[in-house]
Amino acid sequence: MIRVRIPQKNKEIEVRGPRRVLDILADAGVRPTTVIVTRGKDLLTKDQRVEDGETIDILSVVSGG
Amino acid sequence: MKCKRCGKTPAAVDLPSHHAAFCPDCFFVFFRRQVEDGIRRFSLLAPDDRVLVCVSGGKDSLVLWDVLMELGYRTEGLYIDLGIRGYSDRSKEKVIAYAAGRGKEPIVVDLRAEGAPIPEAARISRKEECAVCGTVKRYFFNRIAAQRAFTVVATGHNLDDEAARLLGNLLHWDGDHLARQHPLLPETSDGLVRKVKPLWRLSELETASYGFLKGIDFVTEECPMSVDATSLVYKEALSLIEDAMPGTRSKFYSGFLRFRNVPEFIAKSGEDDRPAGTCGVCGAPSYTETCGYCRLKEKIRKAMEQR
Repeated sequence: MIRVRIPQKNKEIEVRGPRRVLDILADAGVRPTTVIVTRGKDLLTKDQRVEDGETIDILSVVSGG
Repeated sequence: MKCKRCGKTPAAVDLPSHHAAFCPDCFFVFFRRQVEDGIRRFSLLAPDDRVLVCVSGGKDSLVLWDVLMELGYRTEGLYIDLGIRGYSDRSKEKVIAYAAGRGKEPIVVDLRAEGAPIPEAARISRKEECAVCGTVKRYFFNRIAAQRAFTVVATGHNLDDEAARLLGNLLHWDGDHLARQHPLLPETSDGLVRKVKPLWRLSELETASYGFLKGIDFVTEECPMSVDATSLVYKEALSLIEDAMPGTRSKFYSGFLRFRNVPEFIAKSGEDDRPAGTCGVCGAPSYTETCGYCRLKEKIRKAMEQR
């Protein structure tokens, strides 16, 4: 399984791999232009494939105020 | 996906709005060029400027400081501690750590020490937190710049911020705010320092990507006061459109900058927007006898006395 963390929402989900970043975002209900997706020190493009056993973070880039 | 610029390295950032994807090194080149173009377009900065960069600890302002230093501008950072328990302390730590890594020390204004922490100021004045925060921040940007002989104040507002603000201003047909919405607000003869927004061409996705790839340790939590900010509603609406039609946000804002002087009501609204005099209490430029910040402080002082 792929571990998907959304730290700003204190949320974590698991999805079956392999799966494209774009599809994982759809699973998590997140709009692609509002986040960056990271794997360790790497930034992932939306077409990148994530494998079972990997952990990725979804970080919102939207600031208010 | 390979980098569209060098064609060799795998891409790390895909930008449908530019029909492009870049590896980290090529993205840095792209990003710096966007900032330089944005500065050049409206002559935001000159090489001999002393730039006061307003930093919150968030991605945009720290990225702005980083890129301006890299472009060779003379900069200092100003951090305003808003007095928001926990959040302000964590943000300040990030700013101080970032600056220390570059051999700098930020100028810090502590609103608790100034008697106007945002949560209390908003409660006592019965105004929205973000509105009070804006008044207080603008006051100190100008005051610190004037006191310490900075020639210009730079803020990290990005394309998403400006497009959201434009949408809000248009939905309300707010001529005064439309007239003042621009990446460059020139200095005035009565003491307002020039204000610039060098990141106006770059999206939040781009500033976040740049910050992450550069290893800048910015605060990722949102200001707890901004949860209900109306700007978030406008951003949400624009991102819905942007996802379906990449590049629309940029066309929306840059089109406004091209045509903003055409509609008659905008031109007229902007005619009387300069402060006519100075505040009788602190001497800052002001429309009224006492400036907005001093009126706010007086309200807080009276409320404290009545406790």
